[in-house]
Amino acid sequence: MKLMLFAPELFLLLGSLVLFLLSTGKVGGKTARAVTLTLALGSVLVCFACLRQEGTLFFEAYRIDFFSQLIKLVIALGFAVVLLFSTELKGVDDEIRPEYYLFLTLSTLGLLMLVSSVELLTMLIALELSSYSLYLLVPMRDDRTGVRMQMESAIKYILFGVVATGVMLFGMSYLFGLTGTTYLVDLLPRLHQMMGSPAALIAIAMVLGGFFFKLAVFPFHSWVPDVYQGASNETTAFIASVPKVAAVAMLIRLTALATPEGQAIVTMLIILSVCSMFYGNLVALVQTDMKRMLGFSGIAHAGYVLLGLVTMQEVGYAASLYYIAGYLVMNLAAFLVICKVSEHGENLAVDDLSGLHKRAPLLALTLAVSMFAMAGIPPFVGFMGKFMLLTGAYKAGHLPLVILAAINTAISIYYYLSVVRVTYSASPEDRPAVLVGGVSKMVSVALVLVIIAMGLLPDQLLELATEAVRAIL
Amino acid sequence: MEILVLSNSLHTYLVIGALLFGIGFYGLVQRQTFIGMLISAELILSGASLNFMAFNRFLAPDPTVGQVFTLFIMAIAAAECAIALSIIIAVYRNYKSIDTEDVVDLQG
Repeated sequence: MKLMLFAPELFLLLGSLVLFLLSTGKVGGKTARAVTLTLALGSVLVCFACLRQEGTLFFEAYRIDFFSQLIKLVIALGFAVVLLFSTELKGVDDEIRPEYYLFLTLSTLGLLMLVSSVELLTMLIALELSSYSLYLLVPMRDDRTGVRMQMESAIKYILFGVVATGVMLFGMSYLFGLTGTTYLVDLLPRLHQMMGSPAALIAIAMVLGGFFFKLAVFPFHSWVPDVYQGASNETTAFIASVPKVAAVAMLIRLTALATPEGQAIVTMLIILSVCSMFYGNLVALVQTDMKRMLGFSGIAHAGYVLLGLVTMQEVGYAASLYYIAGYLVMNLAAFLVICKVSEHGENLAVDDLSGLHKRAPLLALTLAVSMFAMAGIPPFVGFMGKFMLLTGAYKAGHLPLVILAAINTAISIYYYLSVVRVTYSASPEDRPAVLVGGVSKMVSVALVLVIIAMGLLPDQLLELATEAVRAIL
Repeated sequence: MEILVLSNSLHTYLVIGALLFGIGFYGLVQRQTFIGMLISAELILSGASLNFMAFNRFLAPDPTVGQVFTLFIMAIAAAECAIALSIIIAVYRNYKSIDTEDVVDLQG
């Protein structure tokens, strides 16, 4: 059954065709949202049904294994959660909402295809499909209310994005020149023979650059704060969480290229990881805009994820996967609160959360749990994830890196907990109560439960992740 | 006579490709308008395309792969250009300028 192999992508592809037809007619945002939500929930089911599929498609350029299918399921879940809680889509004009949902779906489709591609050209096409849709989502924020910074952030996003693509393509051209093939399977043995040569190292580093951009690792991070601030809250929720899962998956696939004797690549990853952590955490300390703060914290978290990659072992890769899945959940919980508290889709300052525990107790609890988890406080998933990453890096003999990461965790506690302090101990003054719909309440309860459950029962999840990683090594 | 042999050597093309990449990068940093930055970004992509064609001509066992790759890069560059231009129009509508010095609401 070749059809089953491609079922998740095919499902979203047909869905985006339906959305395209809708967007040509006079359909309001409500219908488009209902269709997209059905699609998202359907794609979760399809991804789940295809979890154990294995095989190759399209002249072996497209590989379906447990690794890709597991990531696809996580991505589909993230997509569904974003849609579930962005009920009103406050920041986007009703007229263009069908297009908005179309691009959101296409972006998810691109990410699903990305994690299965094992050939350079396929990888490029899938990556660009998801990136271009994201570039277009940013300027769709309504500019009639006088907010114009989304245009600036969109142009910065696309220009940085093109540079990242260019760097990646340049690296790909060297890989192609060195090995004469674009298939990762054939690249691997041929690269191992020339691992000492600088050309091979530069080529791998440049290709990794394209994914560093997606994950917002240090030298490719500069778009993050501006795009987070400029895009509407719901768009930021998507950009901040879902693509990063796919980026980590691809980084794992590509770092496996340099395994096991890529000492130079390891050194580079260590430097980037330390820079990301320090830069992200130190700058986040002084932020007043909530989304900007989460943006810088995202850069720091990207640094933590790299801790798993530097080990170059399957335990480390599995820990990275576990951590990024946990980050997806924590981040979505934080953005759910931001989307709900923001009244007309405007940006939130940290002070706007004052007294949230009186205005919306459930949201305050969700935010607190999410912040505690990101800060790495037990029993939440953030703690378990960091613990796994740090022990993995320690066992691989990177003691200085572990110490620096631990210092960073301590720094980050300050700004995460100051958000919790504002929500719980500042007085609300005359800020109105926040109305939360039934579905959003259920989603926020579910997210809190998942954050706790992932933190309490890491064994099964890590086993799953290890099994997935074993499928590609 | 040496100048005639240059066109038949891989190194010539690799150097030109690297130069295009460098010029594009320099332009992105130096240019004052978004259109100029977009043109510089295109130079980076053409540097990569040239590399692919050169490797394809001199080294590759299968001489179609590089050409196909280059064709795809051209298509992707065109799509990216369309999107970037549409965003630049949106920027102009809001800021009445496409100068990098005027479009500075965000501090990143």
